[in-house]
Amino acid sequence: MFGYIARRLVQLVFVLIGVSIITFLIMFLIPGDPAYLLAGKNATPQRVAEIRVELGLDKPIYVQYGRFVDRLAHGNLGESYQFERPVRQMLQSAIPNTAQLAIAAVLIELLGIPLGVYSALRQYTVWDSALTTTALIIWGIPVFVLAVFMQYVFGVYLGILPFYGNGGSTFLKVIPADWNNLSHLILPAVTLGIIEVAYISYMQRAAMLEVIRSDYVRTARAKGLPERSVILKHSLKNALIPVMTIAGIDLGALLGGAILTETVFSRYGVGLMVYNAINARDLPVVVGGVLFATFVYVIANLVVDVAYAYVDPRIRYE
Amino acid sequence: MTDTESAASFAEPQLDSPLPVGSENRPVSAKPLGLWADTWRRLRRNKLALVGLGIIIVFLFVGVAEIFAGVTGINGGYLAPYNPNTPNYSIAKQAPSLSHPFGTDYIGRDVFSRTLVATRISLLVGVIAVSIALALGLALGPLSGYYGGAIDSVIMRVADVFFAFPYILFVLLLVVVLGPGFTNVFIAIGLLSWASYARIVRGTVLSVKTMEYIEAAKAAGASDLRIIFGHVLPNSMAPVYVSIAMGIGGAIVTEAALSFLGIGVQPPTASWGNMISDYLNYLQAGQWWMELFPCLALVITVFGFISFGNGLRDATDPKLKE
Repeated sequence: MFGYIARRLVQLVFVLIGVSIITFLIMFLIPGDPAYLLAGKNATPQRVAEIRVELGLDKPIYVQYGRFVDRLAHGNLGESYQFERPVRQMLQSAIPNTAQLAIAAVLIELLGIPLGVYSALRQYTVWDSALTTTALIIWGIPVFVLAVFMQYVFGVYLGILPFYGNGGSTFLKVIPADWNNLSHLILPAVTLGIIEVAYISYMQRAAMLEVIRSDYVRTARAKGLPERSVILKHSLKNALIPVMTIAGIDLGALLGGAILTETVFSRYGVGLMVYNAINARDLPVVVGGVLFATFVYVIANLVVDVAYAYVDPRIRYE
Repeated sequence: MTDTESAASFAEPQLDSPLPVGSENRPVSAKPLGLWADTWRRLRRNKLALVGLGIIIVFLFVGVAEIFAGVTGINGGYLAPYNPNTPNYSIAKQAPSLSHPFGTDYIGRDVFSRTLVATRISLLVGVIAVSIALALGLALGPLSGYYGGAIDSVIMRVADVFFAFPYILFVLLLVVVLGPGFTNVFIAIGLLSWASYARIVRGTVLSVKTMEYIEAAKAAGASDLRIIFGHVLPNSMAPVYVSIAMGIGGAIVTEAALSFLGIGVQPPTASWGNMISDYLNYLQAGQWWMELFPCLALVITVFGFISFGNGLRDATDPKLKE
């Protein structure tokens, strides 16, 4: 087990180095001179030259890359062109909102588990086909289309929930402490959650179908265990593994910012921050957001993989 | 009747017939169903997949017709009842009617025509983005799987890095850097999704390369490239077709998302994504038709690709064969 974790940590380091190289190259590819961008439209050539030296843009590319990595390693993501504020500070203020949304969405998507199990146990019945077809249709709905729909139906037409912005206060930064906060959370969280409920139930059904046909389940039945214990203890435990993996990776992806959902609902978070930065061509913020999201995503993948190896020993020895 | 004749009649005469290979009379029953015939036989039973296939065919038909019109300039470059981009203020914001089945938008453009013509953007993005990804994946994946060792490690570690980026954010970053616009959207999507094709092909190549017919090709003195691209790859493609179907659906959603965020296809060119973003305010004012129809077009198309892709996966999966 420790060997496995060590191997994955080494891999992680290489992935992060690769991520930093690619991000750096992309920034380097930008047409035009970042010094001009940073200096603003009416800057004197002298000011541009100063900024170029400040940023080290006059140095060779490998020196620039070295400085870039050095800054990253110190948690310095640069400064926003638009607000002249450290990107790190902006991220810190956006993260709790995003985390709240991500956690709520993942909790909702777990509803897919019982739905998938039910479908699998009733394979080829009307309920199974109804659930599977619905899942497939919802799974195909782009998240921003569903967001627009939810916003219209529940926010505008029925008018029962706030459909934009944030509000209220929280406990420990993520747990809603009042109705105002919770009500702003419901629509975005349900939007993100529903699509994943569909996906999870589809995957849970497939995993469950595979498990209930396996030899050890047949053995469990043959030795006369009650059906309840065959399903809950022997089948579900194993069929949950792939689905929990999906949920874990989803959490990692959502913690990096749900840009489309946050944008539709004008809900402040990492995603909306990046969206605003894109419109303002505020590159350090965009890059900072992408690097943060990538980092969280990679870590979530690592945690999920290690957990997977822990519960399923077959993985460790591959 | 002589003894020899009766013996021959027991011994399935067609099988022993001395007909030359390739002759029309060559028995087909001796051969198992080919991959495609077998896949089709199993796919036919999956109604959702057939619905998906129907949607894809309609989508392709409309998309190709629109591209054809755009390239040749027939009828002003579009196939639709009205010009999709010409405003007509006197009929702005009209609800669906016989002459405008999807209604008109806030400056009197026909929503049906715009939805129809936008199919071309989705088709082009789907096909070109997936082609770029596929070209990279099909070049690197087989090399990785076939040679193994250092080549494999390098290619797969690079693929790991591409997997590490959250998809939509990375495409956004690329489009911000390259500049918004149609071409950059599919370059960005293509550049980012090659890794999954490479990984899939690598996996199947690993299992195919140990087969006897590959050994036979080696023994016959075929070059590595010929073995990889002539023998191994064609037999490793089934899972790739599934990802192509899913990938086209994914690319269409990504384009729509980018255009929705305002950094994809730029107005006045109609794309489902920029229409959805453009008409959002009118939905809140109760003029639902502008928003509804591009949303439906997008959702139905994506559903088509996903359900067909899922059906194809089930139909080609050897584990599910009865």
